[in-house]
Amino acid sequence: MKQALKNSRKILLTMLLALGVGAIFILAIGENPISAYAALLRGAFDGKLKIGTTLASFTPLLLTSCAFAVAAQAGAFNVGVEGEAFLGGIVAAYIGINWTFLPKPVLLVTCFLGAILIGMLWALIPAVLKAYYNVSEVCVTILMNSVALYITSYLVNGSMSAGVANSQSLPVTVTLPKILPPSNFNVGIFIAIAIEALMIYMLKKTTWGYKIHTVGTNPQHAEYIGINPKKVFINAMMLSGAIGGITGCIEVLGVHGYFLNNFATGLGTNGMLAALIVKSNVVLTPIMAFFLAVLKSGAMGMQQSTGVPKSIVDTITSVFIIIATMELLFQFKEKKRKVSIADTGKKAEAAEAVSGKGGASHE
Amino acid sequence: MSNGSSIFNASLIYATFRSATPIIYAALCAAVTQQADILNIGTEGIMLTGAFMAVAVSYLTGSWILGVLVAMVSGLVIAMIMAVGHIKYKSEICAIGMGVNLLALAITKFLLNSWLGKSGTFMDPAIAAIPHVHFAFLENIPLLSTIFNDWCITEWLVIFFVILIWFLFYKTRWGLHLRAVGQFPDAAQMAGINVKAMKYQAMAISGLLGGLAGAHLSLGYSQMFTENMTNNRGFMGVAAMFFGGAHPVYTAIGCLVFGFADSIGARLQAYGLPSEIVLLMPYVVTVIVLALSMISKKEAEKKRKSSLQTAH
Repeated sequence: MKQALKNSRKILLTMLLALGVGAIFILAIGENPISAYAALLRGAFDGKLKIGTTLASFTPLLLTSCAFAVAAQAGAFNVGVEGEAFLGGIVAAYIGINWTFLPKPVLLVTCFLGAILIGMLWALIPAVLKAYYNVSEVCVTILMNSVALYITSYLVNGSMSAGVANSQSLPVTVTLPKILPPSNFNVGIFIAIAIEALMIYMLKKTTWGYKIHTVGTNPQHAEYIGINPKKVFINAMMLSGAIGGITGCIEVLGVHGYFLNNFATGLGTNGMLAALIVKSNVVLTPIMAFFLAVLKSGAMGMQQSTGVPKSIVDTITSVFIIIATMELLFQFKEKKRKVSIADTGKKAEAAEAVSGKGGASHE
Repeated sequence: MSNGSSIFNASLIYATFRSATPIIYAALCAAVTQQADILNIGTEGIMLTGAFMAVAVSYLTGSWILGVLVAMVSGLVIAMIMAVGHIKYKSEICAIGMGVNLLALAITKFLLNSWLGKSGTFMDPAIAAIPHVHFAFLENIPLLSTIFNDWCITEWLVIFFVILIWFLFYKTRWGLHLRAVGQFPDAAQMAGINVKAMKYQAMAISGLLGGLAGAHLSLGYSQMFTENMTNNRGFMGVAAMFFGGAHPVYTAIGCLVFGFADSIGARLQAYGLPSEIVLLMPYVVTVIVLALSMISKKEAEKKRKSSLQTAH
C-alpha cells in the first residue's frame, strides 16, 4: 500500500512537471498556458460529441497500452503494436468485405479471429528472433511497423482500393454499433475493457501470469524452477500481438467502417507511452491511457481556440515519459541510502565478476 | 540497352553510397555508445533534431557550416538528456530512448509550426546546402567521373569518420578504456577507469555524430526539412551497428547493403514496381540482414562452445 502511494505520488509529480515544461513552451511562443490548458480541457469534454471523441480515442489506447504492458511483463519491449494494429485492421477489412457468405454474427467473430491471428503471427517473428537469436526486438519491431504500414498502404491503394480520392477500402459489411453518435465512440470500448480485465486477472491471478512475470524479472530463476523462458517470452509477445490485432479490428469495424490508409499511426506509440509512464503496471495503464486520450482529443480544440499548436501535447507527453523513466528522481529522502546500498552491491558484484572471469579462464 | 544495364551501372555505386551515408552516420552514432554497453535507441531522435536545427540555422543565417555545427550541438543536448536519465537516474535505456525519439518528433514539429511558421515540410531557396566537391581533372575519365564526382562534402567526411572512429576504438588508450567499460564495467572501475565519465563521453560523441547525421540528411542528402524526415533511418543505423558488432568498418558495410536495396528499389520503380514495395524494401532487407547476421553469430558461438567441450 505504501509503495502504491509512493508510485502515485511520483506519477502526479511527474505529470505536474511535464505540464510545467509544456507551460514554459507555451509562454515562449507568447501565449497564456492556463487558458491553453483550459481550452484543451474544453476541447476534450465540452459537449456530447467531444466526450464521445475523447472516449473513442481512449478505446485503442487502452488496448495498445495493455498490449505493450503484457509484453513488457515478460521483459519484451514490443514497439510493434502499431504494425499489428495495421495488419489486424486490413485482415478484418478483407474478411468483412469479402466473406459475405457467412451470417453476420459469425462474420463479426471471424473478423476478430483473423485480426488476432495475423497479429500473433506478426509478433511471432521478432519474438522468435529475440528468444532464440538475441536479435533486438526494439529494432525489429520498429522496422516491421514500417513494413506493415507499407503493405497495408499498397493493398488499400491497389487491389483493395475503393476507387475514391482517399486511400481507403470498400465499406465492411459488418460493423460495431456506435454509442454516442455522431462521434466515433462504439461498443468496441466494452471489448477493450473486457480484454483489459482479463489481462489483469491473468497476470495477477493465474500460473500463466506468474510465469510471464518470473521470466520478465529473472529468466535464470525461471529456467531453474522449470519454466521455459523462451516459450513464455514468445507466448507473451504473441498475446501482445493478438491484442494489437484486435485494436486494428475495432478501429476498422467500429470507428471507420472501412480500412483507412494510415489509420493506426500513433496508436501504438501512444499506447506504449501510457504503459511506459506507469512502468507497464497493467492496473495503472488504463488511467494513463485515459489521460493521454484527453490530451490528444483536446489538442485540436486548443489549437483552434488559442494560438498554441497541437504538437505541444506531444511535447508534454514526451517530457512526461522522459521524466517518468528516471527511476531515482523524486526519491529525495531514500536516495542517499539507496545509492550507498547500490555502491556496496556494485562492489560485491565487481568481486564476483572478477572471480567469474578467473573461473572462465580455467575452462 | 537491356534492362539489366540500366539498373546495374556505374552510377549505382554512387547511388548506393548516397542513400547509405545518412545511415552510416547514424550507425556510427549507435556504435560509439554500444562500445560502452549503451544501446542508443535515441539515435533516431538525435538525428531528427539535428536535421531540423541544421535547416533552421542554415535558413536563418545562410551559412551551412553554422547549420551543421548547431545541429551537432543540438544532437549533443538530446544525447545528454538520455545520458543523465540513463546514467544518473537509472532510466531503462529503451524507455528513455523512445522518450527522446518522441520528444524530438514533437519538438521539431512544434518549432516548425511556431518558429518557422510552416507545417509538414519546410523548403526554401534560402536554405544553404552543404556544397558538393567537383574534381575538374576527373571530367575526362567517364567512369571515375560518374562514381566520384560531385559528392557532397559530408559524404567524403563519412569515410574519414569511419576510419577515425575505428582508430579511436582500437588504436587509442581511450578506445581501450571505452571497450573495457562496455565489456567489464566492474573490472574497468577496479582498474581505475571512471566508468560513468566514459559513458558520458561516449554519449557526447554519439550526440555530436547523430547531429551531424541529421545535418547531412537535411542539408546534404536533401535540402529541406520534413516532419519525421529520418523515417526510421536511425533504427536502420542501430540495426547496422548490430550487424557489424559495433565495429565501424563492418557496420558501414552493413549500411551499404541497405543503401544498395534502397537504390535498386528506386530503379525498379521505373519498371512498374509499386512505390510502396520500393519503400518497404530497405526495411525488409534490414530486418533480414540483421536476423541472418545475429543467427550466424549465435551459431558460430555454439560451435565454438561445443568444440571447447569436446577438447576437454
